[in-house]
Amino acid sequence: MATRAVSSPARTGTLGGSRREASVLRHLDVTMIAAVMAIAALGVVMIYSATQHRFEADPSFYLKRQALFVVLGIGVMALVASIDYRLFRDFAPALYVVTALTLLLVLSPVGKNSKGAQAWFQVGSFQFQPSEWAKVVLIVCVAAYAANHRGDLDGRRLLTLLVLAGFPMVLIELQPDLGTDLVFGAILLFTLLVAGARVRHMAVLGALAVTAVVAVFHFGLLKDYQRERLTAFLDPQGDVQRSAYNLNQSKLAIAHGGVTGQGLFKGTQTNLSYVPEQHTDFIFTVVGEELGLLGSGLLLALYGFVVWRMWRAAVLARDLSGTLICVGVMAMFVFQIFENVGMTMGIMPITGIPLPFMSYGGSSTLACFAAIGLVLNVHMRRYS
Amino acid sequence: MTAPVRAGDNARLRLSVLAMVVVSLFAALYARLWYLQVASNAQAQVKVTNNQVRFVHEEAPRGRILDRNGKVIVDNRVSEAITVNRAKFNNDVEHVTRLAALLGIPPGILVKRMSDPRFSPYKPVPVATDVPKDMVVYLAEHQDDFPGVEALELTERAYPQGNVAAHLLGYVGEINDRELKDRKGKGYQLGDNIGKSGVELSYESDLHGVAGLTKFEVDAQGRVLQTLDARPAQQGADVQLTLDLDIQKLVEDSLAQGLDATRHSYDKENKKDFLAPAGAAVVLDPRDGSVVAMASNPTYNPADFVNGIKPELFNAMQDPNSHFPLNNRVINGLYAPGSTFKLATALAALDSGLITPGTPFTDTGSLQVGNRLFKNAGSRAYGTISLPTAITVSSDAFFYNLGAQFWYTRSQHGDAIQATAKTLGFGERTGIPLDSEAKGRIPDPESRKKLHDANPKAFPEGRWFAGDNVNLAIGQGEMVVTPLQLAQSYATFANGGTVYQPRVAERILQQDGKVIRDVTPAPERKIDLAPTVRNAILTGLKGVVASDKGTAHGSFIGFPLSSFPVAGKTGTAQVFGKQDTALFVAFAPADNPQYVVAVVIEEGGFGGSSAAPVVRRIMEGLAGKTPGPIAVQQGVD
Repeated sequence: MATRAVSSPARTGTLGGSRREASVLRHLDVTMIAAVMAIAALGVVMIYSATQHRFEADPSFYLKRQALFVVLGIGVMALVASIDYRLFRDFAPALYVVTALTLLLVLSPVGKNSKGAQAWFQVGSFQFQPSEWAKVVLIVCVAAYAANHRGDLDGRRLLTLLVLAGFPMVLIELQPDLGTDLVFGAILLFTLLVAGARVRHMAVLGALAVTAVVAVFHFGLLKDYQRERLTAFLDPQGDVQRSAYNLNQSKLAIAHGGVTGQGLFKGTQTNLSYVPEQHTDFIFTVVGEELGLLGSGLLLALYGFVVWRMWRAAVLARDLSGTLICVGVMAMFVFQIFENVGMTMGIMPITGIPLPFMSYGGSSTLACFAAIGLVLNVHMRRYS
Repeated sequence: MTAPVRAGDNARLRLSVLAMVVVSLFAALYARLWYLQVASNAQAQVKVTNNQVRFVHEEAPRGRILDRNGKVIVDNRVSEAITVNRAKFNNDVEHVTRLAALLGIPPGILVKRMSDPRFSPYKPVPVATDVPKDMVVYLAEHQDDFPGVEALELTERAYPQGNVAAHLLGYVGEINDRELKDRKGKGYQLGDNIGKSGVELSYESDLHGVAGLTKFEVDAQGRVLQTLDARPAQQGADVQLTLDLDIQKLVEDSLAQGLDATRHSYDKENKKDFLAPAGAAVVLDPRDGSVVAMASNPTYNPADFVNGIKPELFNAMQDPNSHFPLNNRVINGLYAPGSTFKLATALAALDSGLITPGTPFTDTGSLQVGNRLFKNAGSRAYGTISLPTAITVSSDAFFYNLGAQFWYTRSQHGDAIQATAKTLGFGERTGIPLDSEAKGRIPDPESRKKLHDANPKAFPEGRWFAGDNVNLAIGQGEMVVTPLQLAQSYATFANGGTVYQPRVAERILQQDGKVIRDVTPAPERKIDLAPTVRNAILTGLKGVVASDKGTAHGSFIGFPLSSFPVAGKTGTAQVFGKQDTALFVAFAPADNPQYVVAVVIEEGGFGGSSAAPVVRRIMEGLAGKTPGPIAVQQGVD
């Protein structure tokens, strides 16, 4: 088996004893890594398709950058997987503080405003989006807190947890980045569910969430463009010039693909840039148009496979914190996939949530690889 | 290190619930994917294509209009225009103000012109036409200051001969909604030019050409990526008219001079000068019905309609005081024919056998019919005369008698005058390919009753009396004709009985002169014209001009009748509340007719006085002489 081939002691790192590491590596989930690599590779190709006409001077500008992100991401994944997740768990408070500080910092003039959101740090020609990292950190922190209390989340602890998670969420909403907050919400929801939050509490939370959504819409807490984007999918025949136009073009691109697709790099909707933000949030439309039902169906199957491996890792984890980390990562992926793909097909509101490993972007790609690293970490240490 | 906390059974149950949630979410994505890519795929194919393709329509230059000798009467002219390409123009205050200053118009007007909805966003919008050359040069030298502004050459209608034959040619204007709807699918677009009247309208389908169509592929921003297909505009075909430009000019000049001279002559009956506000003249070739010249006065200048007529000018043309210069009186002016109608009465009388050419009649200057006394003009008595002399001197009494006799013998001959008038083409449109032709009217007992029943106020008398027949016999009463019908009836007589539908075009040509199709003469029917009948009437008509008793004799003194014999008939029609209408119809050479000339002058008095001199001047030109000045004659019918 391939697992054996890579698990030779000579290739393991310097952390811990080589014998022990070898036994850990024997349980590495190579199939999930393969699926993730396949998705990431497809993502690079699709980003190239969406951006090859952007710069005459360098058609592969985005391709090269995304490829770099993937290579870096693999490194990050390896790094995260190699450090025992229990160490992360134990240092969760520190991670939390550091992350909260960066989220505060990005709101200061040090951060950079782009497309109406104060969400980036500019370093050279690259931009870092701390809220992407915050998702991964939140997963670890929530898992750590819940596991520390052995899954016994009474009202007070639940409230503490909500406040802990709520603080970065507020900071993120100040950017504003509603999409990432929604991912936070999904992570919280899944984790609390599995961590053993009382059904009663969950019901109250649900009611509060609904009230909050209604209030947000009613009291104008949303910016006009946000409200418009969020509701465009409810009325696709609406103002075609704006959000509904984008949505219609997105759906049209996917429908245009048919069963077999228009062929790689041959999507006319794609080539003529009818779909906005196509290399980032709307990358799925490229797959839909150029590779058709077969290609996009296969992509969803790969995601399904990855999610199943996460679920399996959650079930097999040797402790509750491992289970909850896997559940958190799974929540992040499931929500991002469903929301992003659903949005391009017009069944979910338009929010700026990237499609894991597919959407162009360093922070998102690296965060996703780190998240996969966490799951690999939990999975391969299930016996140690 | 604390002991590991394993997920308990409760957590496992919750994980299973989670798995189900996730599976259903993925199922939803698959279902939607199937719906879009399989169920909606066909629709999407169509929509995507429409997304990416834009059409730009370029109007073709119209075909030219030539006279029968190939002289260009209506042409196209290239006009230097400043255009704005809205896709490239920087639509800010600075650029708008700068361009407005260059053009010398207020910025508001410029913005209005730029947003003209007739132009596609991919098509440059003309904001100034006919600009001076130095403006074009300035623009070329300062192109950086005017992004998206270009000087373009636009073609528009041009009239190298001035406003000659305006009514026959018609004018061109911007297509309206109704015309656009009527011509759906024929390549017209908002903003296109279309023939509005005259030949421009009737030969629109030949003149219009085929619009150019460029198919562009555009991206989401509407930027042109490539040209997929370009079909160049194809200029419309040329229309060669039967019109002779020189004769047309002669006819227009003669009519204008005749009107002017008539306005300076005294109407003894009404104790003032004749008003002569308007008139019509037409020259037909009796051998095939070709219109050689057609003039209506007052006239207009078709060039005023190029690029849209100024509203004040158009409104002025609708003012009754302007006597409606847009009306082509040759085809839609309705006039009582007066004595010119005696041709029809004479034909009816001879054909029916009511009289023979030699049947004598004693003209005492008037005729008693029932309790009414019908008088000759000026109550002149011509003594015992037969038909030819009756025509020459225009004896009303002679024809009153025919009208009365026809009424008394109605059971035998029916409404013979009306029937003959009908075969000559009165009461129906001639079918000349020009718009808004009037039908005219032949009154008979039935039509009288119908008119009365429909409008008792305007037509208080619903019955037909002997006196009505008497009036009809000399072209009075409710009988009305167009000058073209009048000319056509004399053409039929002149050519020996063939009724031709008048034609205005001879052929349709390509620009290189290759014939696309000929417009052949259209003989409609033949009427019986026995030589004895024709000769008797011809003798009378020749006498009108040649005999010293003839009603047009005075107008033709000094005319070379021996080399170019003219035969014709004068008419002086009474119009209630107005001065008499003067008419003269003639053909020449009398024995081998090549031209029929009909002239009508509204409120012009005697036909022999004011209409005949116009015909004489035209005939001089046709005979190859230099036409002299018009001299209005004194009182002859």
